[in-house]
Amino acid sequence: MLRPAIIILTLGWLGLFVLAPHLLVVLTSLMTPHPQHLGTYPFTLDAYVQLLDPLYASVLLDSLGLAALTTLICLLLGYPFAYTIAGLSTRWRALLLFLLIVPFWTNSLIRTYAIKLILGNKGLINGSLMNLGLIDQPLQLLYTPFAVVFGLVYILFPFFVLPLVSSFDKLDPGLLEAANDLGASRWQRFRHVVLPLTMPGVIAGSLIVFLPAMGMFYVADLLGGAKNLLLGNVIKNQFLLVRDWPFGAALSVTLILLMAGLLLLYAWSNRRIHRRGGLDDENL
Amino acid sequence: MTIRTLSASLLFLFSLSAFAGGKVVVYNWAEYIPDGVLDDFTKETGIQVEYSTYENNEVMYAKLQLQKGKGYDVVVPSTYLVSKMRNEGLLHPLDKTKLTNLKHLDPDLLDKPYDPGNQFSLPYLWGSTAIGVNSEAVDPKTITAWQDLWDPKWQGKLLLTDDVREVFHMAYKVLGFSTNTTDPEQIRQAYEKLQTLMPNVLVFNADAPREPFLAGDVNLGMIWSGEAAMANAENPAIHYVYPSEGAGFWIDSLVIPAGAENVANAHAFIDYMLRPEVAAKTVEAIGYASPNLAGKALLDEATRTNPIIFPAEDVIRNGEFQQDIGPAAVELLNGYWEKLKTGR
Amino acid sequence: MKIFNRSLVVLLFLILYLPIGVLVVNSFNASRYGHSWKGFSLQWYEKLWHNEALMQAFFNSLTIATLAATIATILGTLMALAIYRYRFRFKAMATGMLFVVMMSPDIVLAITFLVIFLAVGITLGFWSLLIAHITFCLPFVVITVYAQLKDFDPNLLEAAQDLGASESRILLRIILPLVLQAVVAGWLLSFTLSLDDVIISSFVTGPGYEILPIRIFSMVKVGVSPEVNALAALLLALSLLLVTIATLLTRNKAKS
Repeated sequence: MLRPAIIILTLGWLGLFVLAPHLLVVLTSLMTPHPQHLGTYPFTLDAYVQLLDPLYASVLLDSLGLAALTTLICLLLGYPFAYTIAGLSTRWRALLLFLLIVPFWTNSLIRTYAIKLILGNKGLINGSLMNLGLIDQPLQLLYTPFAVVFGLVYILFPFFVLPLVSSFDKLDPGLLEAANDLGASRWQRFRHVVLPLTMPGVIAGSLIVFLPAMGMFYVADLLGGAKNLLLGNVIKNQFLLVRDWPFGAALSVTLILLMAGLLLLYAWSNRRIHRRGGLDDENL
Repeated sequence: MTIRTLSASLLFLFSLSAFAGGKVVVYNWAEYIPDGVLDDFTKETGIQVEYSTYENNEVMYAKLQLQKGKGYDVVVPSTYLVSKMRNEGLLHPLDKTKLTNLKHLDPDLLDKPYDPGNQFSLPYLWGSTAIGVNSEAVDPKTITAWQDLWDPKWQGKLLLTDDVREVFHMAYKVLGFSTNTTDPEQIRQAYEKLQTLMPNVLVFNADAPREPFLAGDVNLGMIWSGEAAMANAENPAIHYVYPSEGAGFWIDSLVIPAGAENVANAHAFIDYMLRPEVAAKTVEAIGYASPNLAGKALLDEATRTNPIIFPAEDVIRNGEFQQDIGPAAVELLNGYWEKLKTGR
Repeated sequence: MKIFNRSLVVLLFLILYLPIGVLVVNSFNASRYGHSWKGFSLQWYEKLWHNEALMQAFFNSLTIATLAATIATILGTLMALAIYRYRFRFKAMATGMLFVVMMSPDIVLAITFLVIFLAVGITLGFWSLLIAHITFCLPFVVITVYAQLKDFDPNLLEAAQDLGASESRILLRIILPLVLQAVVAGWLLSFTLSLDDVIISSFVTGPGYEILPIRIFSMVKVGVSPEVNALAALLLALSLLLVTIATLLTRNKAKS
């Protein structure tokens, strides 16, 4: 009794609220735009052709670039961060991980407004630098791509760290000791043991940062001066302002396909590590 | 009396009063009605107000259209949307016999082309879009026209509002066109004119434009009258300049969506908002001009004569009110808009 | 190296809390604008107390977050079990869908939710918001619980089955206690995600049920009011209080 109920619930919920709407979006992307409906017949590939317009292609490239930069910064900061946290006692680790998510209880929109006060011409950073006499003209930080990347890293960093910490957790200290006994140097141990075994965590964290980064339109609106557009801004504008739903849907489908591609890459790398390290590791 | 019986009786009282007057669902910008007004309305009429908010006209329109005009009883669209929604049958005609305070409204702001005879809408607040200047950094005397914003010395300095119609208004006026033009050639020319402005643009402001002015992040750019009035009150160095080519004017109107479920209450609410005392309170709290003449008379001298809030006759005549320009022109504008904003 | 790493952690925590610090400081600022300090004042707290609409939006946010987290945790735990224990058709599709939800940019999810709610005829408001929040929290619960499930001995369950324990008994008496920690973590993560969401909520919310981010987003016409700072400060105080209590509780447990 219980078993079929759970299965039906699982498939029903995911089918109705995930699969069906995604299929509808794919369908919409194949229709002809209509100002008052999602779209209308006949079916067409126009929306996808429009994607090739150099304007949107360059927005796509720009947001890929910003998202990649965001991910890279998260990686450079997050890896030593997660490593250090994972090395602490259980109680400290739990406390710090908890402190990592507490800021999220203050909605990220409110925190984005606060970042404006930090990056502004008379904000905390410029104010301190000027007081220290390091600069005499405020630096233009706000309304630049820098501000957008800062905001994206700020909001997404904890999501990068969480899966990574758990993959450090699963690292068997015995393996490191063995490597040590076999005379591996600190670098060799890192390169050949730690890094490969935490790779799934790195990839998981990167995916969780990279894709959402392209959709956070309010960060681009508030910190980038609505100028350094992310793909999310274009999608939002297409749906709400231009009301070209098929094109908005086509952009969404492109993002989903991109995501699927990256997921396959992830699964592939996971399998590879699985074979090499003999670990049944799956951090996602 | 235990807490439980207390709360039970409170709940009962609440449901009783809610039952007595029913409700009205108001869809508006947040805080666009002053504190206390909604409570006073409920106290007086017994009608509960459900106040729901949106961040721009487009979101509101999209939601209303997708729900076929259902779900909300009173909405506050800008002028161009009033005619669009009217044409699409999204609005419920107003029953003027239920609106006793109609007589207080300024006839100059009634019977406009976007809604002839005000069959569907009544003006709630109106304002202008013009130029904000911080005199600590920029001499306000050197800025007299929209064209002045094109000066190369403002490279990377300007604030523009994140609104396609307002930004195109500047270029239309500089080129001598109407802000409501639908001529593709004129629109193209305006787009090319705006392209040359883009190097000067620092930010398309998506939240309240007075904030970057007050924070010192920008010293020159577009701003709305109400925002300028509030900024000026906080920092007198922030001036509001009506450009010689003509400022942009807009009206936010009270309308009832076609699918409204509480039409009678919606009328009661609109009529309440049109009371002179309420209109006066609104101007004081929000800083935009009210079309309510009797309400204006109740304001103190300083507010009534504040040129930022209530511009002189000739300034209004020199400017132009926005209207619906039809789907073809909108589509054209939006295409250019995306290009401008992505800097290409 | 250790010192370097630890200072990095401290520094990043400082940056993480800096914007919130700014909010807290400004909540006591007499000036309406956060750009300059104009003296200490409690007026924003007083105003917040009287700003019923803002408080209501805040309580609605908490309600949705609590409900969504709880329901997502129950559903997600069951789904993790199904994926771990059962073989069924479309299982690959189910896991695929969970990945899609987790990875999809919010804006895409927001639009898919809007499309399905309109197609199915769910009125935008409380229910649409709740369903959307449950759905985007689900994968995080499933993954946390699944990761823990994988770590224990399947023989245990087989033994229980052989001894004639019913499925519901196995779930409640054996599996649940074993994954409890992950269930709690999943709930916490869901609660956090729900409170933090802006984009999806702004698309799927409707009249009569307003939550905090939408309220703040739509303050464009008059600017974000400093009562929001006061609210953020109170929220931070409350969260830190909870953290302290939780830490003290675990310490006592560790001692005994």
